Amino acid sequence: MNTFYATNLLIYAGVDIIALLALNLQFGVSGIVNFSFIVFQAAGAYAAAVLSMPPDSNPDYSFQIYFGGYQLPFPLPWIGGAVAGGLLAIPIGLVALRKLRSDYQAIALLVTSIIANEVINNARPFLNGAAGLALVPKPLQDQVDTQGDYYPYLLIGLTAACVALVWFVSARIVNSPYGRSLRAMRENELAANALGKNPVALKMTIFIVGGIIAGLSGAILVGYLSVWAPSTWQYPETIILFAALIVGGRGNNLGAILGALLVPVGLEEVTRLMVHLNLGPPNLIPALEWVVIGLCILGFLWFRPEGVRPEPRRVFDGGPDVELGEGVHAT
Amino acid sequence: MPPEHPMLVATDVHRHFEGMHAVDGVSLEVPRGQITGLIGPNGAGKSTFMAVVAGTLPATSGRILLEAEDITRAPAYARARRGLVRTFQLPSEFARLTVLENLLVAAPRNRGDSLFGALMGRRYWAQDEERIVTEARSLLQRFGMSAKESDYAGTMSGGQKRLIEIMRALMLHPRILLLDEPMSGVHPRVIEQIQYYLQVLRTEGLTILMVEHELHLVEQLCDSVFVMAQGKLIGSGTMASLRRQREIVDAYLVG
Repeated sequence: MNTFYATNLLIYAGVDIIALLALNLQFGVSGIVNFSFIVFQAAGAYAAAVLSMPPDSNPDYSFQIYFGGYQLPFPLPWIGGAVAGGLLAIPIGLVALRKLRSDYQAIALLVTSIIANEVINNARPFLNGAAGLALVPKPLQDQVDTQGDYYPYLLIGLTAACVALVWFVSARIVNSPYGRSLRAMRENELAANALGKNPVALKMTIFIVGGIIAGLSGAILVGYLSVWAPSTWQYPETIILFAALIVGGRGNNLGAILGALLVPVGLEEVTRLMVHLNLGPPNLIPALEWVVIGLCILGFLWFRPEGVRPEPRRVFDGGPDVELGEGVHAT
Repeated sequence: MPPEHPMLVATDVHRHFEGMHAVDGVSLEVPRGQITGLIGPNGAGKSTFMAVVAGTLPATSGRILLEAEDITRAPAYARARRGLVRTFQLPSEFARLTVLENLLVAAPRNRGDSLFGALMGRRYWAQDEERIVTEARSLLQRFGMSAKESDYAGTMSGGQKRLIEIMRALMLHPRILLLDEPMSGVHPRVIEQIQYYLQVLRTEGLTILMVEHELHLVEQLCDSVFVMAQGKLIGSGTMASLRRQREIVDAYLVG
């Protein structure tokens, strides 16, 4: 295993873990079927790109057309990516989450994802259309040698720090009374409303929090890849993340992380290795990947809907002396 | 002494669905500290009326006052926070939350129950949490469900789910409790239990408005009763006096 390969694997794992922690807050904990999740990752990536790139009048960049080009130093592009994801969540949330019933929310969000991709794909002056953005500066590239031996470790370290931060935030939310209210809303929105919980406020807040985290994941990814185009964030990418959460276990952060490692990372790796086996026509294995993802979703929903690591039952200390069985002690 | 307002006043409340008048001009007053019944044949509009009072459905027209305070435009969650709490006709427990958590969710004024509070960490809200856990446990003990506190609410029996809903509502310290058929689908032994608890709550001063089909239960529990048929109020009084009114018996039986 060479350094490039390991770096690639670790950065993708970090980005997928961050994305899945966000999707878990929205879907696993709060029950919002956010089929437009990938749009928020894309928003973060584009924002980080235009914040870190020079203006498109720069001779090296003049083959692209885009707005902005602010050449901001690290970490501002990453912060900007997170902010962009959060800001985008406000209008989309206000349209999709206020009045619609949850199944229609899912449809509205899926359509949003398709529309957003089409628009960016065809509106070239905005973010360079279908060709996408290239030569996006890497984090700290003016300060350190990005070709040096240690740069991959730096990138991995920065990604890991973000994973830790997002994990910290998610854990605080999931394990708090606020997280409990979100779970109650997921279980029965009407009843939660009748008990004094404002479902629109709860949904909007967690939608924005998830958008911020998704935006950060996109910013990290574009800093590593240096390119970003509509073909990288089509709506099926969201389905992969949903598959990961269903496989890993909804409603808990460990399940989300497990899902990230099993599905996007694990599946990518397995198919990459399978390609070397020269089985059948060259596109067979990547095409089968989608079959496998579909089967994963169906199989788990059918046989183990709670996922590999189920949401833990929360047992409070000091209760009556009864046999508790397995469960997480909440206090 | 300030003048004593009735707990709840509904004035000419209408709720129309696409040309159907589910609630058609209902005016009533719910006196404080009593159990008031709302009866009527299927499709009379009782549940719709309850939903309108609780804010689950907006009223097409009319006015609803909670202790003289106009709540007609307030959303359901705001009414709950002001002390008007409802339960549902169908079991509506939070299935994948434990019994104890079902109660904790309902507790108002927990510092950890906001994004900010959550991010501040456990130290910030531990005291509130401890207080409401104690409160919830004493309710569980009172309703004989302590041993079940760590079980998922979804695994409870129909009657236990009813009790959970009532306890959950009590966590909000309601001024008035709206119960929509709290005895339906419940084992006879648990019905007696629920009946007993409701009587205890009344002696403690809680105001209750309940929809119920079983007339003998209504007779035993309710101080006064309103009768609805076809979206309108057609009578009121004690159950004994209603039984003597020919047209009300007819409406109920003919439906």
